[in-house]
Amino acid sequence: MRPGVALRLALAGNRTDTVRVVLTALSAALASLAGLAALTVLAIPTPPGGRGSNNSEQYTNALLREPGLRGGTAVALLLLAVPVLALAGQCVRLGAPARDRRLAGFRLAGATPGQVTGLVAVEAGLASLLGTLAGLGTYLVGRVLLHRPDARGLLPLPTDVLPSPPVIAAVVLGLPVLAGLVGVVLLRRVTATPLGVVRRTRRERAPRPWAGLLILAGPTAFGLLAPINRWYADRAQDPPALLEPALMAGGALAALVGVVVGTGWLSYTAGRLLHRWGRGAAVLLAARRLTADPWAGSRTLAALLAAVIVGAGAAGLRASMIADMAANRATGQGLAGGEDFYLNTMDLVDRAAQLAVALAAGGLVVALVEGIVARRRTYAALVASGVPRSVIGRSVGWQALAPAVPAIVLALASGLLLIWGVAGRPRTYGAHSFQVCTGDAVRCADPSVLRTVWVPEVVVTPELPWAQLAWVGAGALVAVLVTVGVGLLFLRMSTAVEELRTG
Amino acid sequence: MSRLQARDVVRSYGPTPALRGVSLDVADGEIVAVTGPSGCGKSTLLHCLAGILRPDEGAVRWNGERIDTWPEAARSRLRRTEFGVLFQFGQLVPELTAAENVALPLLLAGTGRREAGRAAGEWLDRFGVGHLADVRPGAMSGGQQQRCATARALVTGPRVIFADEPTGALDTLSGEEVLTQLVQLAREQGTTIVLVTHEPRIAAYADREVMLRDGVVDPTGLGLDETLVPLPAAGPGTDPR
Amino acid sequence: MSTSHVLLGLLAAGNRHGYELKRAHDTRLPRAKPLAFGQVYATLGRLQRDGLVVTAGQEREAGPDRTAYALTDQGRAALAGWLAAVEPPMPYVTSALFTKVAVALLVADLNAARSYLIAQARAHTDRLRELTAVKTAPSTTLDDVVAVDYAVAHLDADLRWLRTTLARVADWHREVHP
Repeated sequence: MRPGVALRLALAGNRTDTVRVVLTALSAALASLAGLAALTVLAIPTPPGGRGSNNSEQYTNALLREPGLRGGTAVALLLLAVPVLALAGQCVRLGAPARDRRLAGFRLAGATPGQVTGLVAVEAGLASLLGTLAGLGTYLVGRVLLHRPDARGLLPLPTDVLPSPPVIAAVVLGLPVLAGLVGVVLLRRVTATPLGVVRRTRRERAPRPWAGLLILAGPTAFGLLAPINRWYADRAQDPPALLEPALMAGGALAALVGVVVGTGWLSYTAGRLLHRWGRGAAVLLAARRLTADPWAGSRTLAALLAAVIVGAGAAGLRASMIADMAANRATGQGLAGGEDFYLNTMDLVDRAAQLAVALAAGGLVVALVEGIVARRRTYAALVASGVPRSVIGRSVGWQALAPAVPAIVLALASGLLLIWGVAGRPRTYGAHSFQVCTGDAVRCADPSVLRTVWVPEVVVTPELPWAQLAWVGAGALVAVLVTVGVGLLFLRMSTAVEELRTG
Repeated sequence: MSRLQARDVVRSYGPTPALRGVSLDVADGEIVAVTGPSGCGKSTLLHCLAGILRPDEGAVRWNGERIDTWPEAARSRLRRTEFGVLFQFGQLVPELTAAENVALPLLLAGTGRREAGRAAGEWLDRFGVGHLADVRPGAMSGGQQQRCATARALVTGPRVIFADEPTGALDTLSGEEVLTQLVQLAREQGTTIVLVTHEPRIAAYADREVMLRDGVVDPTGLGLDETLVPLPAAGPGTDPR
Repeated sequence: MSTSHVLLGLLAAGNRHGYELKRAHDTRLPRAKPLAFGQVYATLGRLQRDGLVVTAGQEREAGPDRTAYALTDQGRAALAGWLAAVEPPMPYVTSALFTKVAVALLVADLNAARSYLIAQARAHTDRLRELTAVKTAPSTTLDDVVAVDYAVAHLDADLRWLRTTLARVADWHREVHP
């Protein structure tokens, strides 16, 4: 197949496909922006000098100034990309039935599985490449526009450094390759057969709760941070620069994948329980759909759950910080001026999580509406045979909420657990003495003038941030409810009798 | 008086008129075929009679009551209890088993799950697909699916079955078998059938044929332009086979 | 289709006399035109003359002469040959319907041809409904269903032809009377 033909066939779609390509490109752009921002932070050179004297003093923000904080900043930026990528994953499903049929049509017309796979990869890859190029452009323009030194010549953002060209190339080209591979994996069943619809009847094996192990792997990775740092400290060495971010990112990813995969099991189990104990037609419909395709819940809720994990983790972090600050106040030590800074930073993280929930809600709407529209003929026939729309609406509601509620709780717990293993420990402050001298340096040279002050021991246990967790959970739940509401509007359109016309 | 009645029914889709004043009386236990070329409005007439669509003008009466003025909820209930509907395809819920699909109308009516399941099993048996009770529609042939759909249309013991090209997606043999079973059961229980089809051999299952043409009843019964057709004196010229 | 081959086929199942052959014929071919006794005996005589059947004893029990007939080897071969031969599919287009419309166009006007076609279509439709009703009757046997299916398929084909011809009859008329 010539490249031109591949391009033509890859772009042979309808309006929904265009929307999917645009959304894919958009999320690729956002993800590349997040990645480039993180890499820029990591590219800030550390001046020589020991701890405390190696700050990059050209920045106004401590998150950028202090080498010790930059790793965390970069990870936070990267984590922002996770809900964006999850949204991209959802967009892949947009218009999927029509595309599946089209691809099956290519197979029927004689295309080999490899060629169809190639087409899928080309479409996803090209769209993502457009996005990452746009992201790169935005980044390059943005760093010029945002380069605004203040009166003292200090920079609010690291607009004076640039990641090395190979690293930039890796982001701009690597993301599209990744997107292509993901597209291929998602469509492997369709490309395997010219009869794309066959997979409807395929009965998947029931999901099993192995995802729990992955969820536990997350906090374990975080828990390893302290011992590893101690190990290196004992040997008077600094740990490898990327070890900490890698452990954090890996742990967070493990927990995220665990929660998303676990949602499949939750959906399946919820479906079985509803089928067993539920009453009425709406519950039966919802239960059977949940057990028939338990992974639908995983797919649709992935972005939302990622946002909830971030939100819950942030809640835990804030609780830990508040505890530290309380302890510091009690012991009359440092940080006092920095409190606002830290809390402001946490506010930023919270905003990011809220933004992620909103993004995820968008993806959820896409997925739910897609599901309803794909089944419009069945719904229209049910309504024609006298099934009230309210029954179908209730079944859609059950189907969305039955897995969503436990999955949100699971995500809250996993997000908190990630942080809490480290941040939730009671810590001991004080229990040491220091010497105070009132007077000038000459006077203080005399040791007898010094006063020894004993700082009493203060043990602080961070409080579980119930209130904030509740807010995050409630926000996510509201997002799901709003989505169901929008879905019901579409349901009304999709059950019109016109859908029954046989032509 | 006939129990099911349409009077001067007019219905348009946007600017396109589908029905331009159709009247039809269906007697109790009668099987009426509504035929005509594509786009003649036969499906629309069925949808109006079944209370799925509301006519723009005219009246649809069931038991002497004007159901076209009823709210959607009341018409839904009527369709669920007194009427049964049967379409060409796409009416079974893919995730439900055959038995659950058939039991659905009973569950909606508040019947317990066990009792509904038993009734569904009996109906599936009557249509010769009892062995498929736990199978999902995707794993059945078109004929088997249509038998399940027919069982579902009959499970509530409706007074009228509305069937829109019920054999359209089936091969000749499967189509005839499904229709033969439907008609036999209808005759046995005195059920009325309104059957929409464009095939003469399917319409022949009915007691009477009403042909629509461009949204009105065609008096020639042949779907021809009336100006061209001289209405001949009755009486066949040659004996058909 | 010939009566003689049907009789040969019925005799292949065992020796029978004339009356039994008539009864068997009417049961096996339920929707065919019933066979007259005279025709049975005339055909048997011809078959006997050609050496395809022989008489196989007589029984005379207070009534008419009852001669049983048996198939000969030659008769068996003739039957097998007939069964194996494929019928030529419509070697000539001959049909009373077709001929009548053609003649009507020659001698009468367009309207006469149309009137005939319409009346014929109505008669066909009525007969189609009548035969279909047989299929859905509770007591129907498979013999009936198979026979009716044959007729239904042909009536259906005729009806299609009648409708297409109705749509074409004006053009046809112009061709006949330029």
